[in-house]
Amino acid sequence: MNTLDLSLNEIHAALVEKKVTPLELTQEAIKRAKESKDNAFELIDEANALAFAASLKGPEKDNVLWGIPYVLKDNFSTKGLPTTASSNILNGYVPLYDATVVSKLKAAKAVMIGKSTLDELAMGGTGTTGHLGKTYNPWDPTHQRMIGGSSCGSAASVCSGIVPFALGSDTGDSVRKPASFAGLVGMKPTWGRISRYGLFPFAPSLDHVGFFSRTAADSAYLLDVLAGRDNHDSTSSFKPVEKYESLIGKPVKGLKIAIIKEITDSITNQALKASFAKSVEALKKQGVEVEEVSFGRDLLESIYATYIVISCAEATSNDANLDGIKFGPNYGGKTYQEVMYNARTKGFSELIKRRFVIGSFALMRENQDVLFLRAQKNRAKIVEKTNAILKDHDFIYVPAAPSIAPSFSAASDKLSDEYLIADNHLALGNFAGLPSITLPLTLEEGMPIGINFMGRAFEEAKLYQIAAAFESISGLSNLSIRNKKEGNL
Amino acid sequence: MKEITMDVLHDAANRLLFDMSEQEYQTLYEEFKILTKQMEKIGKIEGLEAYAPMTFPFDVTVDYLREDVAETPLPRDEALKNAGSVQDHEIKLPKVVG
Repeated sequence: MNTLDLSLNEIHAALVEKKVTPLELTQEAIKRAKESKDNAFELIDEANALAFAASLKGPEKDNVLWGIPYVLKDNFSTKGLPTTASSNILNGYVPLYDATVVSKLKAAKAVMIGKSTLDELAMGGTGTTGHLGKTYNPWDPTHQRMIGGSSCGSAASVCSGIVPFALGSDTGDSVRKPASFAGLVGMKPTWGRISRYGLFPFAPSLDHVGFFSRTAADSAYLLDVLAGRDNHDSTSSFKPVEKYESLIGKPVKGLKIAIIKEITDSITNQALKASFAKSVEALKKQGVEVEEVSFGRDLLESIYATYIVISCAEATSNDANLDGIKFGPNYGGKTYQEVMYNARTKGFSELIKRRFVIGSFALMRENQDVLFLRAQKNRAKIVEKTNAILKDHDFIYVPAAPSIAPSFSAASDKLSDEYLIADNHLALGNFAGLPSITLPLTLEEGMPIGINFMGRAFEEAKLYQIAAAFESISGLSNLSIRNKKEGNL
Repeated sequence: MKEITMDVLHDAANRLLFDMSEQEYQTLYEEFKILTKQMEKIGKIEGLEAYAPMTFPFDVTVDYLREDVAETPLPRDEALKNAGSVQDHEIKLPKVVG
């Protein structure tokens, strides 16, 4: 097995023992990125990555990210490197500063090898709406299945073994759902735990920095570096940063898990239901207390509409500056309104325009009461119920998605009445700002599918404790298409 | 709430300073039918009106004044890097008024 296919700790050990150098790891990662046929990248930053890797002096024994190649979603600002969020309206935009997470990873001497593609402006769940077209699921070499979105390129780059970790963003489930389809660990910490300075805003009341890795421990090491207060982001938390891997390996006996009946009932895939039930029994065998609870069907079915109204309303306001004058290509026009009209008509895809109209309509004075404010009130009710469950339980445990990755022909970004609960419940974590982690559960037809644990605010260390315990149950730690496993469930 | 018609959707898009294809207006019209139906259902959720609209997951309070530390501003050449056209160290815009 190539060193690049190991866990972070194992790669770090190899670096410390000088069995491999950062430059060799980076060269291998770039080679794999170039060979990839999954349309995962906006750009591969070969020259800078190789130069940075070659310049590293070390090894640094206490820095697990030293010399590790990674991939960054293209909605994080990178000084001197184009950043488009996969939208034509940002073609040619080169930020003048680094996002805080980019600065932190640079300071930790991780090597950014490229920027990954996404659903345009991170507003989609299929990995098909970015300006470079569809991103393919590496688990399906026939390219019939999607990997999900919006962090599609980051998910594809980790599960295909190009890099051991990648950054994404998560407003509804944009890290945690693709993680399920890719067989990865997908983490979204507490709202405010990681600075969002330099992340292009979609819906700031719901936006989170998230990340993909192949093990729970790797994910914890990443959070150690990325977490913390940042004066550039007034919503970032002052709470002290912990050692998030500190509880990994500790017994999980006595931890309490809630299973939401309406969510498990909404799953129609029999293989998934059976694997999920087996996982519950395995957790019980480890001494975990599992209780089935009711959330309320009406409330769960209301998640999607609530999410759409709030996120679209925030997005239409945030993206008003993408107008062909402040940002974006100038297609000409006799008045400034005409310049903006031409730039926005040509610059946005139809999906984005539909989302903006929904958001703008929801904010109109005559519609606010029954759309925007109603959605915000419902969010409060949903969050109250979520937190009430977590008062008596350490985690909520659910299937992360209703099936393996859908085929492109079955996927759609249009609003629908179908799968209202099974496809949308991960947004609970965004509504309430709670830490939430997806892990692989099993494989069906050779395609992975995941589960999700959500914990209390700022209890990420405990979340990693149960996540690592779950990996020993599933047998699917460090899964990738280069390191295929059958699993236990 | 304003009744959704194709004219209303055209007007909303134009206020946002873009246009869409007729097919997309039709898709949007269908999406609005689903959305308004679901939002009506939400309106019937018991006790909803008693809740205050939630704007953020947590209250975030910043109650300190940062130190007044001098910082180097963005150098002029850097600031002009993204400008499509520059003249005498200023961003040159096409004439769009008058």
